[in-house]
Amino acid sequence: MGVALFALRRLAGALLTLVVVTLLVFVMMQAVPGGYEDIVLGPFATEAQRAEVAERYGLDEPVPMQYVRWVGGVVQGDLGTSLSSKTPVTEELGRRLMPTLQVVTLALLMAVLVGVPLGIAGGLSGSNPVIGGASRFAGALTISLPDFVVGATLVYLFSVHEWWFRVGSYVAFSDDAIGNVRSIALPSFTLGLFGVAIIMRTQRDAVRSVLTEPYVVAAVARGARPLTIIRRHILRNSAIPVMTVIAVLAGAFISGTVIVENLFSIPGIGVFFLNAVRARDYAVVQAAVLLSALTFVASSMLADIGYAVLDPRVGSGASARSSG
Amino acid sequence: MIRRLRKTDPLTLAGGVMLAVLVLMSLLPFVLPGVDARSTVGPRLSEPSGSWWFGTDQLGRSILPRVLEGIRTTMLISLAAVVVATTLATVIAVFGVVMGGWVDQVVVRTADALFAFPAVLLAIVIATVVGPGSVSAAIAIVVITTPLMVRAIRSGAVRIIDRDFVTTSYVGGASRLRIATRHVVPNIAGLVVVQATYSASIAMLTEGALSFLGFGVQAPDASLGSLVQEGNVYLTIAPWVTLIPGAVLAVAILSVNLVGDGLRDALDPRTVRTLT
Repeated sequence: MGVALFALRRLAGALLTLVVVTLLVFVMMQAVPGGYEDIVLGPFATEAQRAEVAERYGLDEPVPMQYVRWVGGVVQGDLGTSLSSKTPVTEELGRRLMPTLQVVTLALLMAVLVGVPLGIAGGLSGSNPVIGGASRFAGALTISLPDFVVGATLVYLFSVHEWWFRVGSYVAFSDDAIGNVRSIALPSFTLGLFGVAIIMRTQRDAVRSVLTEPYVVAAVARGARPLTIIRRHILRNSAIPVMTVIAVLAGAFISGTVIVENLFSIPGIGVFFLNAVRARDYAVVQAAVLLSALTFVASSMLADIGYAVLDPRVGSGASARSSG
Repeated sequence: MIRRLRKTDPLTLAGGVMLAVLVLMSLLPFVLPGVDARSTVGPRLSEPSGSWWFGTDQLGRSILPRVLEGIRTTMLISLAAVVVATTLATVIAVFGVVMGGWVDQVVVRTADALFAFPAVLLAIVIATVVGPGSVSAAIAIVVITTPLMVRAIRSGAVRIIDRDFVTTSYVGGASRLRIATRHVVPNIAGLVVVQATYSASIAMLTEGALSFLGFGVQAPDASLGSLVQEGNVYLTIAPWVTLIPGAVLAVAILSVNLVGDGLRDALDPRTVRTLT
């Protein structure tokens, strides 16, 4: 089976997962107490007003029809209209995309640039119990620090002291490039810390498992230079699990932005979502939950296809991957 | 006993000791009457000192007993949620693998779809459906950790179901239920225990995040996350109100993770950690 066929099959699998995702989102939003009528009109609406709103949002149709109409809209890029601002949700999201995208990208970059080298070093450090123990402890500590605790500590430190980075004010890149970096560095660090630990551990385990493979042993035996072995055999073969983890992290970071943007007052999608939940603007909540799940499904699909390209065995069906 | 302890890896031991200390501390208020988490004992927002070791909060309540209550709440919610999630995930995953075919596909797809939702977003939506509080925090944790565990447990069960002794037993006329209970579950028990420990750390993180955002445990009840949230307003003038419960939460999660790593090395050394 070629890579193209594998990609197609993987795409079909992702579409199937997405159908389940939309069903889950729809059912969840049906279960939320209070209908659109109550939110738009408040408690003192007349029956006629309620009927009018119900008709406008298509609530008078049978529930399965509502689902079909909603998915139909989503497919065409229509995510509905915000109940509180009465503007299209896509427009509202677009306005807030930049800060979130910046913070997430910077966090991901930090996680990869710090996590991968640390993981390789850890994997190659052999069985020295002191180094091994120290790195295990550091890794366990880093994944154990809740992002909101790290963030609160940073907010405290950087608001009491006049250190270079800023907390509590977001500056757009177009207004002031340096100011922008000063305002997003700390939230990105908070978000990325967890990623560093996860990538480090995955990279370390991947390097360890590759080290005992016959091709590495053979390379050592024929006297290849250590750097060549690392680059050609170890790095390339340990890339696969690391790529998967980076895809999973993209999802975890979307969760994290809700907390981090809240703490550092970044006007991004996370804060928008939180405010929408508090204002019971379910059109926005529904869209945000769907989009984040879609991002995750897409990124893990791309990672899978990516490693079919890197590793011919994946596409050929020789490796045992259970879910697709 | 002593010999076994000496053979235990020091980090695991440290994690176990920290966890035990935290649990004992959280039970202290029952043993020492007169420690009241709800009443005012001193001036508002005063620093940690000899009279109140962790300082006081915005209402002049001593923070130490509030943190102890917080440990108890956080741990109880997490424990309850993890017990439910582990049972559910084991039953669902083993059922899917033993039945195979489309049943297994439904299990995999549903787990994948749930896994696709960012944890905190999902938890917040669940909290709005159920109404904020400790029950909805527990339900949210179950919904978040179950698909993670289903994926991990399923991958373990798949390895068992293809083994010769299972095939032999199947050919010999054993029912699917018997294969599940006699062959699959006993052989993945170690994996399940390890995943459950990791789930406990995720549970505590999730409870913390949810309560921090105001959708979890509500005042006057206290969890470690809700204490961080309450104190956050006074962060710059009274950092101890926020940072002490935050640090305790981090230590609690760390201890569970260290125990989890130790259990993995002992019970299930082949697998690398998949739950994150």
